[in-house]
This record gives sequence, structure tokens and C-alpha cells, in this order.
Amino acid sequence: MIIIEKEVTVRNRAGLHTRPAASLVKLSSRFDSEIFLIRDGFMINGKSIIGVMTLAAENGCVLTIRAEGDDAEAAVNEIADLFEQGFGEI
Amino acid sequence: MFADLKIELPFFKEKTSALIATGFLKGIPSSPGVVIAKALVIQPEIFISANDKVSSGTSSFEIDRLTQAFKDLNLEFKAVVDRIPESNTGAVNILETNLLIINDEFLQKSINAFINDGYTAESAVIREFEKQKVYLLNSRDKILRERATELDHVKTHILSALKQRCLQYNIANDRVLVAQSLTPTDFVNYKEAGALAVVTEAGGIASHVSILARSFETPAVIGVKDATGIIKNNDLVIIDGFTGLVIYNPNDELIAKYQDKIEKIEKHRIALGKLAKEPAVTADGRKIHLMANVDRLDDIDAANLVGAEGIGLVRSESLIINYSTIPGEELQSKWYREIADRIYPNPVTIRAFDIGSDKYVEGMPHAESNPALGFRGIRYLLSRTELFKAQIRSVLRASINKNVRFMLPMVSDTSELVKSLQIIDECKKELSAEQIDFDANMPVGIMIETPSAALMADELAELSDFFSIGTNDLTQYTLAVDRTNELVSDRFDSFNPAVLKLIAMTAEAAARKKIPVGICGELAGHSAATTILIGMGITELSVVPAMVLELKNRIRKMKYSAVKKNTSKLLKLPDSYQILKILEQ
Repeated sequence: MIIIEKEVTVRNRAGLHTRPAASLVKLSSRFDSEIFLIRDGFMINGKSIIGVMTLAAENGCVLTIRAEGDDAEAAVNEIADLFEQGFGEI
Repeated sequence: MFADLKIELPFFKEKTSALIATGFLKGIPSSPGVVIAKALVIQPEIFISANDKVSSGTSSFEIDRLTQAFKDLNLEFKAVVDRIPESNTGAVNILETNLLIINDEFLQKSINAFINDGYTAESAVIREFEKQKVYLLNSRDKILRERATELDHVKTHILSALKQRCLQYNIANDRVLVAQSLTPTDFVNYKEAGALAVVTEAGGIASHVSILARSFETPAVIGVKDATGIIKNNDLVIIDGFTGLVIYNPNDELIAKYQDKIEKIEKHRIALGKLAKEPAVTADGRKIHLMANVDRLDDIDAANLVGAEGIGLVRSESLIINYSTIPGEELQSKWYREIADRIYPNPVTIRAFDIGSDKYVEGMPHAESNPALGFRGIRYLLSRTELFKAQIRSVLRASINKNVRFMLPMVSDTSELVKSLQIIDECKKELSAEQIDFDANMPVGIMIETPSAALMADELAELSDFFSIGTNDLTQYTLAVDRTNELVSDRFDSFNPAVLKLIAMTAEAAARKKIPVGICGELAGHSAATTILIGMGITELSVVPAMVLELKNRIRKMKYSAVKKNTSKLLKLPDSYQILKILEQ
């Protein structure tokens, strides 16, 4: 099994509020890999919107994306892109 | 302006024979419009305990009930989503996201785990949501904390579905809804049943009710304390979504006054036609942020009505002209917050006091022989740190919903900007230490109104989040013309190529650093100037509200590619006569 981790920064001003959380979960769910987001040692499942929302990740906050599975690399890269583009909210 | 900012409430003496007392409530105006109608008060849900347990062996029955509730909710949501036009993306997004939360399998598993511990389905739902809410409520970010309300709505949905409650929506016809808070599906259902306006106790202006109310053009006032306790069912209510005022049991005089206001708004709306809702985009697709300048609170309503995309300039010194001393942080933050709330979700740019020169206030040391070249703008503010800090702190405090920008006037070199940014940082640290909320990333920009600032635009752009060009002062300083001096005022000419070149330099520097550059001076509204300004790469224009639509009309007709080409030719002409001759063709 492939395990890949990558650090990302929340770039959109409003932080990971509901709409970005929804886009993130929709994207994560397209991959077979298990997806996790880690903040300060606190880990949530990237396919759970309530998990992503309760991370309460504000603008500027640094998170680690972790994917476990055959398509881990694609998953991490696409999710990191979503963060990079600020969820289309910059 | 100050008198406008405070809402003057008529004083009603207690009469022994009074029939019904008129009452006034103040909330946050979250969706514009005025409605006079009877109230429909929706009483809050009865309290359900988080500690109810079932007798052993019946947990599977509770899990079945929960599963059925989730199925019912899916059907209910899909039915509502199907009825909303797809173009109403705001509403569709909110409902779909709520559904995503409801269908979160991790959430469902977690609730089931509580049921397996012996709790009723209802108590299990409450326990799970309280657990999740704690995470959000601990966030340092206000917007994220507000998301806790969203979880409450989903919780309410699930609890209602468990009860198989069937709400009577049709009683809302022609009524003003008064509720503790409203779930998104309830809002849509009531709205479709004919509800006219909404008053809620809960909510920030970024809340779902606000977004839905704006997207359905339903006047709304939120954050009205104890509204469901004070307003009685069938009370006549006036709701003013422009000012946030809710009047219950109004007297005839007030009813007549607001009927008049409703008529005026309606006339205005018809006169403006569709243009107010169209975007300010050139014929070939370049987006221009078209905003309004505001000096009085009344201007905000006008700005909203003409579809301005925000407030490009609040001259904060115009707020204090009636004051003998500059008001303190509390009062100032109230004004700025009110302006920011009333224009939300659009942005507002608040310019720090530009005091001095012709704008004399008390506290200035003495009359200067050459005030325009003297102690004014940022120079004055940097020498009066306490006054400057009070303003910075109040603007920061008004920025919590992230729609406030702060702008520094009369910057003439980089050191002034560096010093100002240090002071702003100090203020942020103080506020954090005092646990007062603000937008940590509030954009800070500068006015480009001296030739030195235009010449140093690249260096200043490194440190600024945006530029705004003050064309009047820039013209006066570039051409060395005092426009209040009759002997030379005919030489005051913003189309002088020297002035235009400085504007173009500023726009190019901003484009290189990818920061917005706007014009909020008189030139922005000049009919001949629009094409050349947009051709130079200006991305934001801010004019008085009355001019917004005319300017929008002009922008929508022009082609950016063509005016850009034309502008580079115009900038090579030797005088304003030849430039204007072409522009006015």
C-alpha cells in the first residue's frame, strides 16, 4: 500500500468553512484511498464533511494531507491543488 | 452623518389608556427591503434531553427509527432542491451541503454508537452534535465558530424527522416570520408558502438565513434579541431590512411613513430596470469592480439599490465633522461595523482620517501657510499615535466578517507605510491579547495621490494589498495648481498627460504585483475618462451612488482590447486638448 503525506496551507480568507469543506469531501470521495487531514496531531477522515468542518481550519493554518491506497499520489496532488487555488475563493 | 447613524426612536409616554404600545427592536440588517405585515411567531422546539435511555434490547428499534429519519430527510431535501431554480446557486449550495452533512456516514456511525450505549435516537443525535460543536466553538475564527449554528440546523432537521413532524407551512402566507432561527429547508418552504420577511434571534450576516434571504430577495433582520418572546403572533410588524429596525404594533404615523418608504423603493427599482443586477463587465469580458463612495449612512441604501459591488471609499473624516473632538474607539467601531454590516457581503474600504490641509479640525496646532503641502493625512496620524491606534483598532473590530479594507491617505514614501504597518501589527497584537475578534488578514492599502507615491509605486506595491488613486490631489500636486485659487484653478486638469502618465505608471506597478488598483476620485465618474482609465488597467472604480448605473452602462458597451490599444496611443499625445478631442468623439 502506498502512503503519501503533503503539507498544505489554507489560503482562502474565510478558512475551511462549509462550502470548501464540501468541495474537499466530494473530491476525496472520488479516490479509493483512505484520505486523512492532520492538524496539530489531530486527525480526521477527509471523506467526512463533519470531520473536515470540525477541524476549524482558519486562513493561514497548515495541515497535512495523508492518503493511503493505490491512488494515494493522485489524491494528495489533486487535494493539494484545491488548497493551492484557495477553493476558488481567493 | 452622526445623527443618521444613531436610530432616533420616538419617545412614547406611558398612557394609562394606551391601547397597544408600539415597540422597537434593533437587529442586524441582513437582506434589504421594507415590509409591513402580521407576524407569524414560530416557537422554539421543546427541550429534548441528551440523557434519555431505552430499555435494553430495544436499541435496534432506535437504529431503525434513525435510518428511516435519514431516508425521509433525503426525500424532503431533494424535493426542496428540485423546486428551486438552478440559477439560485446560493440556495442550492446551502441545501446540498446540509444534505452532505446529513449523509456523512461517520456522523451516522457515531450516532449509532451512542444508541448502542443505550440512548434514545434523539438523545444520541443531541450527544453527537454537542460533541462536534465543541470543536467549532473552540476555533479562533469567528466565521468558523458561526458554523456551529449550521450543525444546530442539521440537528433540528434530524430531530424533526425522528418525530415525523409535519410543519404547516401555508400559514406563513403574507406574514413576517419571527423565529429563534430557521433551517434552510424551513426557510424555503415558508418562503414558497408566501412569507414576506424574516426576523430571527440567531445569526450573523454570514449565516445561512442571511444568504438565503438575499438570494430570495426577502427582507431580513437577524440577531434580534428575544424576538419570539417580545413579538406576539398576529402583531403588526414593520421590518426595515436596510437599517435593521423592527417595529411591532406601529402607530398610524409610522405605518404611513414606512408605506411611503416602500413606494419610493418600488419606484426607484422600476426606474433602474434590470441594469442594477447586471455585472460591470466590458463587452469582451473584463470585469471591473464598480463601487460607490459613501459619506453618509443614507448613501449605503442607495449603493445597495443601484447594485454597487461594495463601498470603494468611506471618508472617515466626514463622519466626525460635527464633533469638536475625535470620538473614541467604541463609538468609531460602532459606525464602521454598521457600515460593514449594511453593505455585507460586499466589501467596504475605510480610509483613515485625512485631517489637515483644508479639512481643519480642532487639535491641529496652528493654521499653516501652505496646508496642502503640510501636516495632513498619514503625516498627522503618525504623529498622533493614540488617535491613529484608536481608529485602527475600531476598523479592525469592524472587520470580523472579513469585508473591511483599510486605506492610508497621503502616503508620500515607503517609510510612512512601513511605520503604519508596524502600528497596525501592534494593534492586532493588543486585540488578540484582549481576545477581541478581528480579521487578521484585513487588506491594508494606500492612496496614491502624490507624484512621489506614483513614482515609487513598485516599491509601495510590495507592501500594499491594494492601491486607490486620488485623482484630485494627484492633479494638484503634479501640476502645482491649487484648485481653490481662482487665479490658477483653470489650469487644474486631470487629463493633462503628466497626470495620466502617473496614473498609468501606478496601474502598471499594481498589475506587476497583482494587486487591485482603483480610482475613487471625481475622474472615475467623468464620461470621457472611463475608457482611458480602464484602458490603463484600472480594475476598480468608485463613484457616488447616483452615478453607478450610468458608469456601468458605459463599461458594458466598451471593448477592453480596443480601449487598451487606444490608451497607449493617447498617452503619447502632448496635451490634454488633443487627448480629450479623441476621447469625446
